[in-house]
Amino acid sequence: MSNIEKELVQNRLVFYENDIEKINKVLQAFITLSEAKCAMLIDKEGHMVTNAGQEAQFDTDTISALAAGSFAATKEMAKVLGEDEFSVLFHQGKVDNIQLTLIGDRCLLAVVFDERTTIGMVRLYAKEAATRLMEIFKVVEKREPSADEKLLKDGFSNDAGNKMDDLFGEDA
Amino acid sequence: MAQINLGRKEVSCKIVYYGPGLSGKTTNLEKVYEKTPEDNKGRMTSIATEGDRTLFFDYMPLDIGTISGMHTKFQLYTVPGQTYYKSTRKLVLQGADGVIFVADSGTDKIEENAQSLADLRDNLAENGLTLEEMPFVIQYNKRDLPDVLDIAILEEKLNEGKVPHFTASAVTGEGVIPTLKGLSRIVLDNLNKTSSQRPARPKPAGAQAAPAQPAKPAPAAQRQAVQPAKTPASQRPAHLAAPAKPALAAKRNVGTPARPAAPPKGVKKPVRPAAGRPPGATARPARSARPVAVPEKKNMTWIYVSAGAAAAALVAALLL
Repeated sequence: MSNIEKELVQNRLVFYENDIEKINKVLQAFITLSEAKCAMLIDKEGHMVTNAGQEAQFDTDTISALAAGSFAATKEMAKVLGEDEFSVLFHQGKVDNIQLTLIGDRCLLAVVFDERTTIGMVRLYAKEAATRLMEIFKVVEKREPSADEKLLKDGFSNDAGNKMDDLFGEDA
Repeated sequence: MAQINLGRKEVSCKIVYYGPGLSGKTTNLEKVYEKTPEDNKGRMTSIATEGDRTLFFDYMPLDIGTISGMHTKFQLYTVPGQTYYKSTRKLVLQGADGVIFVADSGTDKIEENAQSLADLRDNLAENGLTLEEMPFVIQYNKRDLPDVLDIAILEEKLNEGKVPHFTASAVTGEGVIPTLKGLSRIVLDNLNKTSSQRPARPKPAGAQAAPAQPAKPAPAAQRQAVQPAKTPASQRPAHLAAPAKPALAAKRNVGTPARPAAPPKGVKKPVRPAAGRPPGATARPARSARPVAVPEKKNMTWIYVSAGAAAAALVAALLL
């Protein structure tokens, strides 16, 4: 594992409101230009960062996890061929299709589209969107949180434990 | 690695069930799914073989609701337990925030448990992590079966780090939720600690700060052709970035003429140099491997032979 990869493993991405606003603008512009149904930005661990476009008719958490899994599996295939990873994956269905585009080192752009547009349009505008998103990520990844910054309130884990007790019952 | 999304007010953590084959990882997840209220769970997905053995992973999203203004979610994964799926386990383990090791309590399973634990350490090490720094609990499963080892023996053999352990019978659902709750608490404690007390990010020697596309390591022996300097995709103009890379495609097919990929429908074909050797060019172009020289040489030989034979026939005719 390279130093850069180690660094990526050890540092989590933190997205602030301002980051999400900027990302949403890029995704919205992409949806308008490409006429895709929806676009989801997913990190490589399978957590969705944000999405734009039509209200998803599917479970976005599951799609995010499976997209990240699919990407991880094909990365191993790419390695066998002597590539680092494949930067674009495309899954074609009868009605809906999904294209996954690698964004920098940590994220994927998953685009769901149907016959209202073409793979070419999606690919073209996804490239442009990827360039803009990478600019935003450069800032997100470089940002050093201040030592006393608390992203989560004190007692967060206690409250979460209580919430889980409520969910499953004390003795479950 | 958990994602803290202050923009969407969401925290999302990844928990992985690890352990030897048939120790009950998928059963644990199924029971969590059964016990979770409808509104708090997404779809459970299993990528399994025909015989219902986990091939890639099982997955379920668990939404525990809003805590201190943050919508908190867990992504629960299992790994395939069979020995030969080691690389798949490594993939699933990437980015995990916590691991539940599901051990089989059977008297004849101690060796399999120990091997799986060693495999977990290996896979974490390959991802740049150690078991000691990972939120981790052990579940001694199948306590309902008759031939099980004493907890004291299992603890001695498997729980080197003296992490919290739980007893369970996943088939009946007993102990499944306490195990998940136990690990969740550690994961969230760790999250809070690392969020607020995260040390300054180390700068590895020689690493560039957040490169958009890290320089590709020299690809192994598979590719021996010399690569021209490549402009990173991020710096390329968008209109040049859309179609496939003809030069790279041609280079990979040295010896067989490569057909450049057609630009996608609706995309204007970019202007690029003709594939053949430009007049006066000294550098070998990407597609110079086109096999044209050999047939030309053959044709010339045939002409010389024919001309020679004709001349000989003419001389013979004159002499006669």
